[in-house]
Amino acid sequence: SIPTSAEAEADPEQLQKEQHARSMLRETFLRCLLSMANRKVQFNMYEKVKVEATFGASDIDVLNFQVSDLHTPIGVQKEALIRSQDVISFTYDV
Amino acid sequence: MNTCDWPLLGPLQWTSYVNKQVRVKAGKDEEHRGWLLTVDPVSASLVLVDFGLPGKASVQVVMGHAVEEVQVLQEADQETTERLQTSFLPPTPRRLDP
Repeated sequence: SIPTSAEAEADPEQLQKEQHARSMLRETFLRCLLSMANRKVQFNMYEKVKVEATFGASDIDVLNFQVSDLHTPIGVQKEALIRSQDVISFTYDV
Repeated sequence: MNTCDWPLLGPLQWTSYVNKQVRVKAGKDEEHRGWLLTVDPVSASLVLVDFGLPGKASVQVVMGHAVEEVQVLQEADQETTERLQTSFLPPTPRRLDP
């Protein structure tokens, strides 16, 4: 994960501001992940690979996504883990 | 602004992009536009929202490691800000008292 900045380490007031901003951003992100569960998501991956799957969950450090019914070019994989390092972006509708 | 070092900006700088319409270049040839809802402080991933019909929206998550460039296009007006901030609130507030 991403460490605190050098200024924040030296200045407690700056650290508190930074931590507050961090928590607000993270909370919104987690709520967004929650809203993604059980929805059809399209993943845009490297080498122009586009796959569709039903989103399940992500681990806390966002290294892997757990998905179901992953539509690959050679068939449907019932359950799968996608490494986030292989993903450029993903989209879904609410 | 060139932001190849987007993951290194930190929470305070990321917050300054929230509620703005941005254009994000990612990977080799992807480009996304949308209102920036938040940036995950762990993975530096951006969450962009594109509003369609009332009650409908499309959400794009761009992974922090793939970001090449982030450009601010415009600031949100009051209505868009409210719509953004209320999009992912829990459906019913839970009471903690017995």
